[in-house]
Amino acid sequence: MSSHPLEPRRHGFREELDQLRLQVELMGVRVDENLERMREVLQSGNVPLATLATEADNEIDAMNVSLTERCYLLLSRESPVASDLRFIVSVLRIVSELERIGDLALRVVKLAPNHDLLARHEVLFDILVTISEQAVESYRVALRAWSAQDLQLATELATQNRNLDLYYERLVSELQRLDGLDAVRIAMAAFAAGRSLERIADHSAIIGARLRYLITGEPAHLAAEVR
Amino acid sequence: MGQVDLPPAIEPTESLDVEDLNPDKEPTVVLSDAPSQEVVFAVRDLDVYYGTFRAVRDVNIDVHRNEITAFIGPSGCGKTTVLRCFNRMNDLIETARVDGSIQYHGVDLYDQAVNAVEVRRRIGMVFQKPNPFPKSIYDNVAYGPKLVGRKGNMDDIVEKALHRAALWDEVKDRLKASGLGLSGGQQQRLCIARAIANDPEVLLMDEPCSALDPIATARIEDLMQEIKDDYTIIIVTHNMQQAARVSDRTAFFTTEVNSESDTRTGLLVECDSTDKMFSNPSDERTENYVTGRFG
Repeated sequence: MSSHPLEPRRHGFREELDQLRLQVELMGVRVDENLERMREVLQSGNVPLATLATEADNEIDAMNVSLTERCYLLLSRESPVASDLRFIVSVLRIVSELERIGDLALRVVKLAPNHDLLARHEVLFDILVTISEQAVESYRVALRAWSAQDLQLATELATQNRNLDLYYERLVSELQRLDGLDAVRIAMAAFAAGRSLERIADHSAIIGARLRYLITGEPAHLAAEVR
Repeated sequence: MGQVDLPPAIEPTESLDVEDLNPDKEPTVVLSDAPSQEVVFAVRDLDVYYGTFRAVRDVNIDVHRNEITAFIGPSGCGKTTVLRCFNRMNDLIETARVDGSIQYHGVDLYDQAVNAVEVRRRIGMVFQKPNPFPKSIYDNVAYGPKLVGRKGNMDDIVEKALHRAALWDEVKDRLKASGLGLSGGQQQRLCIARAIANDPEVLLMDEPCSALDPIATARIEDLMQEIKDDYTIIIVTHNMQQAARVSDRTAFFTTEVNSESDTRTGLLVECDSTDKMFSNPSDERTENYVTGRFG
């Protein structure tokens, strides 16, 4: 006796879900490109690149709206359940996180006019560059995890102890020691940049947590999103 | 051979003592500590045959009191066959044979000494297509109670049953009109009233909404929620959204091919809380079915 080979069904819906996964990945790549611009602008103060990043963020925002609408359409039309439902609601969460990461990158980019001011303080500047590298690395792990739907990478992101937090504490500590005429301006710019970079890593971890929930279906894994 | 009495219908807060019916079994079974988990039917290793053909195999399932249990699965997977076992409807098919056991409050339903008519009074059935008798609305509801000699004022019994089936307000001024003159949805609620009038403990529903429009379907679904405090309900449905909406537990059946005879046998894959079954089922076959990948 053998299991009855039930007929595969809902080909169109399956293809749409595959397309949705690829579209999220594409949006993730667009965000990644802007994160690279952000890092470059932070290090060089390249103003034309900052303009390019601003334009690219508009495209990221449009992708967020488009993918959100597509999810709503699939929810209403297909009444998905189980892993399909988890996938669509997770896409809704993840595109929102990607859009947020894009906004945070833009906040750092918009500090380009302050580049010379920040670069003047070597220690602070080194810390900021290090934080930016670690934040981008966290994001890239999230993007790789999504692309491969990799549970191990997602779990690492959601549960890791981050060196970035130590650098952020160091940044705050350095800011408290600032003095001189430009101390307030430097502190405001450096804090805004550091805080945005730290949040980029946080949102990357949320993507990992959501991917973990998507793959396992364990409601407990949702808790990692609200830490 | 003496006749085995079925246990009395019990109130949710009462304990069920089946010692008298199972004199060899000790200790007394007291189930009142966990009313929501109280098992009405315990099915063990159930196989159903039509002649030599095994239609369903190895069904193991508990049906809990005051819950709605939904049976889902592709056509031919044995949902209705199993449902019909719960009130011995398969007895009416000469070639049908049931192996394994179905315990109803600890009593073997298929014990030869159990009265099948009493089983069907305790365990009512609502069918796929509304099937009112060609009689008045009143007589449709009163028919069963009269047949079994139910005591009490018949007008009260009829009114109460129609109230419970959410039909009273629509028919109270035309009780002598034919039941066949009602709309499809009303006819189905009349059939539910007819089942309720026998004062059952369990209602078996075999695709009760498949012939109804969405509004009539919604009324039946609302009705099921309203009456589940008083009854235990098992529903067979092809509508997975309906199972997800109305049921507390869901059982998924599927089919397998007997390669030698090219016939299909139904089997139970998984039974769990409906929330679990539709969010994160344990068995991949369930996942594939509820998401519509295969079926």
